[in-house]
Amino acid sequence: MSYEWDFAVVFQNYDLLLLGLINTLNVTGVSLLFGIPLGLFVALLRLADSKWVSRSAGIFIEFFRSTPPLVQLFWIFFVLPILFDIAIDPYSASIIAFSIQSSAFFAEVFRAGLISIDRGQWEAGYAIGMTRKQVLRRVTLPQAVKRMIPAFLERIIELMKTTTLVSAISYSDLLFQANDIAQQTYRPLEVFSVVAAMYFFVLWPTSVAARGLERRLAVSGESTAA
Amino acid sequence: MEPILKIEDLHKSFGRLEVLKGIDLTVNKGETIVLIGSSGSGKSTLLRCVNFLELPSQGCIYLKGILQGTEKSMKSGKTNRVYHESQLCKVRTQVGMVFQHFNLFPHMKVLENVMEGPKTVLRISQKEAEQRALQYLEKVGLADKSQSYPARLSGGQQQRVAIARALAMEPDIMLFDEATSALDPELVGEVLLAIKELRDEGMTMIIVTHEIGFAYSVADKILFLHHGKIHEAGTPDEVLVRPKEQRTKEFLAGHNQFQIPQHSE
Amino acid sequence: MYNWDFGIVFSNWNVLGIGLLNTIKLAALCLVTGLSLGLLVGIARYSKRKIFNWPASIFVEVFRNTPVLVQIMWFFFALPILLQTQINAFSAAFLGLTMNTIAFSSEIFRGGIQSIAPGQWEAGKALGMTYVQQMQRVILPQAISRMIPAFTNRGVELVKMTTLASVIAFGELLHQAKTISTIYFNPIETYTVVALIFFVLIYPGTLLVRKLEKRADQ
Ligand SMILES: Nc1ncnc2c1ncn2[C@@H]1O[C@H](COP(=O)(O)OP(=O)(O)OP(=O)(O)O)[C@@H](O)[C@H]1O
Ligand SMILES: [Mg+2]
Repeated sequence: MSYEWDFAVVFQNYDLLLLGLINTLNVTGVSLLFGIPLGLFVALLRLADSKWVSRSAGIFIEFFRSTPPLVQLFWIFFVLPILFDIAIDPYSASIIAFSIQSSAFFAEVFRAGLISIDRGQWEAGYAIGMTRKQVLRRVTLPQAVKRMIPAFLERIIELMKTTTLVSAISYSDLLFQANDIAQQTYRPLEVFSVVAAMYFFVLWPTSVAARGLERRLAVSGESTAA
Repeated sequence: MEPILKIEDLHKSFGRLEVLKGIDLTVNKGETIVLIGSSGSGKSTLLRCVNFLELPSQGCIYLKGILQGTEKSMKSGKTNRVYHESQLCKVRTQVGMVFQHFNLFPHMKVLENVMEGPKTVLRISQKEAEQRALQYLEKVGLADKSQSYPARLSGGQQQRVAIARALAMEPDIMLFDEATSALDPELVGEVLLAIKELRDEGMTMIIVTHEIGFAYSVADKILFLHHGKIHEAGTPDEVLVRPKEQRTKEFLAGHNQFQIPQHSE
Repeated sequence: MYNWDFGIVFSNWNVLGIGLLNTIKLAALCLVTGLSLGLLVGIARYSKRKIFNWPASIFVEVFRNTPVLVQIMWFFFALPILLQTQINAFSAAFLGLTMNTIAFSSEIFRGGIQSIAPGQWEAGKALGMTYVQQMQRVILPQAISRMIPAFTNRGVELVKMTTLASVIAFGELLHQAKTISTIYFNPIETYTVVALIFFVLIYPGTLLVRKLEKRADQ
C-alpha cells in the first residue's frame, strides 16, 4: 500500500493552477466590489423608518440566506438566460450570484454594526444640525465600520470558499483547474492536496488577522461615551 | 422685544402615553430657565421637543418669532404640523444641546468634535472652523486637550467639550439635559461653573437639573413639571423657598440635601 | 413571454422526493456526528496540554480555512488513492461535511466553555470534583445552553452545504433536479421549485437562529 507520490505533474501545470487562483481571486474581489456597497444599501433599507421598505429588505436578506448558494448560482446560470432571453456566461453568472448573495450577508454585518452604535451618537449629530446622511457618513458609519472589520474579513473568507462553486458551472477557478489537471494526469491525490494547500495559505492568514483584530477590539473595549 | 423661544399648547404622546399635556412657555433673550420635576414627568421630552429630537404631537413652537413646521390639516378636521428634515436641520443649528451622557464622537479628537458642526453643517472653511473650535475650547478651559481623544478625558472634561461643541454653532439658545447626572460628585462643580459663566455672559438657556442648589443660584425662572404640565412656575424664591403647591413641596422634600445658600451677592 | 409549465416537475415528485430524503439524511447524519466529535475536539483545543491542543488546532485551522467543496473532492478523488479503496459519493460527502462541522462546532464549544466564569470551575474543584466531573456537571450544562443558537446556525449551514454533494453526483435534492432538468429541458421550473423547497426547509432554521440569538441577548 505504498503509494508513489509524484508532484511533478503539479509543477508542470503550475501555470494552469496560477490562472485558476487568479480567477478565484477575481471572482471574489469583483463580487466584493459589488456586494459590499449593495450590502450597505440593503442594510439602510432594512433600518428605514418605513415598515414596507424595511420588511422588503428583510425578505431579500432572508431569502438569500435561506437558500443554498449553489442553487442560487444554478438558478442564475440556467434560468435567468431563458427567462429574459439573454446570454449569461459562467463568469457573469458567478459575479451576479455572489454579489447578491454576499450583499445579504454584508447587510446583516452593516446592520449589526449600525445598531450597536449608541442612539446618543445619532442624537448628538442631529443636535448640531446634521442631516441623517451626514450623521451616517461622519459619525455612526465610521464607528460601526471599525467594529465590523473582523466580521468583514470573516465574510470575505466565506465568500472565497464559496467561489469554488463556480467550478460546477465550468468557470475555470482554482478548483476547476485542479479537477481538470487531475483528470488529465490521473494524479488527483497530488493535485487536490496541493490545491487545498493553496487555498489554505490564502485563507489562513486572513483568518488569523481577523481574530487578531477581534481580540484587539475586544481589549480596547470600544467604548463610546462615558 | 421678540422672545427667543415661545411654546404654545405643546403636546407630545408616545403611542397612547401622553407625556406632555399642554405646555406654554416663553423664553426671552438672556433668560435662564430651570426645569425641575420628578423622574418621568417629561422634562427631557420637553427639552427634546425644543430642538425637535422629538416631534411635537400638537402645538406650536416659535423660534425667534418664526413658527416652526408647516401646517397640514388632518382628516379629523384638526390641524397638525409637519416637519421636514431640511427645516429641522436649520432649527437645530440655532439650538444647542448638551446631553446627560455627553455623546461626544469617540472616533474624533476633541478639536474635531468641536469643529464638526461648523465645518459639516455651517460649511465654514477648515481654518475658520479650527479657530472657532479652539476659541470655544479655550472658553471651557480645555484648549490644551484639543488633540486628545474623548476617551482620554475625565467625565467633567468630556462634558465641557460637549458644551464647547454646542457653543461652536453659536446658537441662540442652549439646552442642558441633566448635564451633571452622569458625573462623579467631585467633577460636577467644574461643569456647573462653566454653565454659570455662560449665564453671566447672557446666554439664553433652558436647564434640566436635579441640583436644586444650582437651580436656585442660576435660574431667572424655575418651572416645576408634573405629569406633563407646568405645575408651578416663578422665581427661585417663589418656587424653591415658598412653594404654594403641595406637589412642589413634596418634590423638594425629597431633595433634602438642598440648602438655600446664604445671600452673598 | 416564457410559458411556465410545472406539470413535469410535479409528475416527477418521487425523483425530487428521493433527493429531499437524501439531503435530510446527509445533513442529519453529519450534524449529529459533527457536533459529537466537535465536543471532543473543542475540549482538546481548550486543553493547555500540547499533545491535545496542537493536533486539534491544526485540524480546526485546516478544515476552517479550506473550501468544503475542495474537502469533498479530496475525499472523493484523492483519499481512495491513498487508501487504495473505493469511496462512494455519499461517504465522501459525509466525510467532507462532517469534518467541516467538527471544525466549526469545536470552536463553538471552546468559545462556550471559555465564556463560563472561572469561579464555576473553582466551585466545582472546591467540592472535590475531578476535571471531567467539573466539565460534565458544572461547565457544559451552562455552556451548552449559550451555544444553542450557534449550533442551530451550523445546522442551517449544513443543509445548504449538502448541495455540494451534487458535484460528485450524490443523489441529493439538487442533483435530482439537475437530472430532471437535463432529461426534460425544463431548468426554469425545476430549479425554481428546488429553490423554494430549500427555502421552506431552511427558513424556519434561520428564523429559529434569530429568535434564539435575540433571547440570548436579553
Ligand atoms: N421615545 C420614547 N418612547 C416611549 N416613551 C417614552 C420615550 N421617551 C420618553 N418616554 C416616556 O415619557 C415619559 C417622560 O420621559 P422623560 O424622559 O421626558 O422624563 P424626565 O422628566 O426627563 O425623567 P428623568 O428625570 O428620569 O430624566 C416617561 O414615562 C418615559 O418612559
Ligand atoms: Mg430626563
